[in-house]
Amino acid sequence: MSSKNSILSALSQSALTAHPMPVIDIDVTPQPLVETFAASLATVAGELHQHGGLAALQAKVDELMAQNLQVLSLVEGVSGNRQVPSTAHELADIDYAILAGELGVAENGAIWVSQTQHRVTPFICENLILALPEKSLVANMHQAVNQVSLAQGALGVFVAGPSKTADIEQALVVGAHGACSLQVYLY
Amino acid sequence: MTELYSASGSKVHSHKADIFCRDETRVDWHSKALWLLREKRDRAAASIPEWEQLRQLGSELKLHTLTHLTDYLQQFEQQCLANGIVVHWAKDGQEHNQIVLNILATHQVKRLVKSKSMLTEECHMNPFLEQHGIEVVDTDLGERIIQLANMPPSHIVVPAIHMKKQEVGELFHQQLGTKAGESDPLYLTRAARAHLREKFLTADAAMTGVNMAIADQGAVVVCTNEGNADMGANLPKLQLHSMGIDKVVPNMDAAGVLLRTLARNATGQPITTYSSFYRGPQQGGEMHVIIVDNGRTEMMKDKILAESLKCIRCGGCLNTCPVYRRSGGYSYNYTIPGPIGIAVGAKEDSTHSIPWACTLCGSCTYVCPTKVPLDKIIAHHRRLKAENKTLPYGKSGYMPLVGRFMASDTMMNTSMSAARLALRVLPGSLLKPFSGAWGKYRELPVAPESSFATWYAKNRSR
Repeated sequence: MSSKNSILSALSQSALTAHPMPVIDIDVTPQPLVETFAASLATVAGELHQHGGLAALQAKVDELMAQNLQVLSLVEGVSGNRQVPSTAHELADIDYAILAGELGVAENGAIWVSQTQHRVTPFICENLILALPEKSLVANMHQAVNQVSLAQGALGVFVAGPSKTADIEQALVVGAHGACSLQVYLY
Repeated sequence: MTELYSASGSKVHSHKADIFCRDETRVDWHSKALWLLREKRDRAAASIPEWEQLRQLGSELKLHTLTHLTDYLQQFEQQCLANGIVVHWAKDGQEHNQIVLNILATHQVKRLVKSKSMLTEECHMNPFLEQHGIEVVDTDLGERIIQLANMPPSHIVVPAIHMKKQEVGELFHQQLGTKAGESDPLYLTRAARAHLREKFLTADAAMTGVNMAIADQGAVVVCTNEGNADMGANLPKLQLHSMGIDKVVPNMDAAGVLLRTLARNATGQPITTYSSFYRGPQQGGEMHVIIVDNGRTEMMKDKILAESLKCIRCGGCLNTCPVYRRSGGYSYNYTIPGPIGIAVGAKEDSTHSIPWACTLCGSCTYVCPTKVPLDKIIAHHRRLKAENKTLPYGKSGYMPLVGRFMASDTMMNTSMSAARLALRVLPGSLLKPFSGAWGKYRELPVAPESSFATWYAKNRSR
């Protein structure tokens, strides 16, 4: 018998009796979305730029490029000084990646990002900037998981702040293996 | 400290705990560090008005999945195949390791970067691959620390919780060439970042554990704070994910519930920094998922033990446990320590002592985000040890006597009155030896005036 079949046949001897799938019906606490999102993002060490939209983001990018930093933008209407390279490994020296956030979650500050080409982009960049439409904000994860879609071969990720660790004596250090900072521009 | 996790010497829980407790300052520090996590968890839970509702949903959706596991596992496999993911099935750890080795050998992998997976620890995969000439690099900071120190993990979420920053500083100085005497966590973390970045960029394959496998999507979810799983899985062309059969959930809605409780219950964060959904290989890459049983279907044959498979490995039960906090992760004679470690590891425990590393206080059950009835499971393990005639040390001899003794009014009352008299008239030093292990860290009680029965008859029975 294959291992698959032997596992499935062993499962038929389970002592548990069938339990129905619960109805997931959680009331949404009415809260101002932008303010709640801003507070959550601060909790996870992200920085929010609430006003100024994409123009403010381009101004920021211009400022970064003037300092000779390597900026890759995949957001339409915002241009950096680097093009998408042919291999993912060539992204290792990117100082700032500017990506599109597709949906923001107010309860935890998480932002859905999906990436098909060079899926490592949101992680390998030294710093990450996300452009997020204000109208994409939802209250909680129940709403979020219903709205995101997973394309085949794509990576979909909820990003909540910059990478962090507390593995040495529980001291919080921002900047572990992924991006060392996260800025979010609402538009 | 090597005495704690070395292969030699007694592995009985109380013996290992004794060694850990020799350094009282360290025990206090360890206990407080974990209690801090419990406090953060409490604040995070209190911030969600529907917290208890989420625990109930978490419990029921996991129970539902476990009771329909044959269907969900097959659906998950079909969806994975449709997404171009290769699916493997392994009955036990040995088969899992062999499958991994075969995949790696086919691709001539020399270096594997790995993010946290308690399953691969359970299967003892690292030493097996190393024996076959593959360099395995653990990339979670805590795991890298203990890997460099050649230690097993002492906690499932914060594996190096038992180490002080000075010890990490000294280790990094010797192994990574950081400055001598430097122990600043920021400095050490940055050094590890630089060291591991080089490993990520030169790895031939990556492996991660799985937090959830979504049946109707054919996708796996991996949660980390450091981003190490994603740095690994998206650089080399080969990605592997190992999962126990208990990791499946039906759909995105179910994942949404668990993503709300997992990090809050683990560290008090509203969500981990990255919750990544992998639904197929990257362009030109290969993605493999290995589904492992390794004793889980056996556990499901027992109605009480089966509920331990609802666990989502948040570590909340370890942080709250009064025994774990004061005996450390190396005292359990199993890869996973604490209450959940007893629940899933007691059967493997050759010392038959870990079900007694518990006060049955029930705090673990109270904090569990999927309502695993841990204290009930642990009590059940004690019963199983008795039924299998594998009670530890003296217990098989004296417990039946205690049972008979306590069932008889006459014997109980006579000896208790003798004990009260002895406590009053005899010197403590003479009586103390009779209290055995109980008296090791306790003083003898002051004898009450009378028995409860006498007191009750006098004061309340009228």
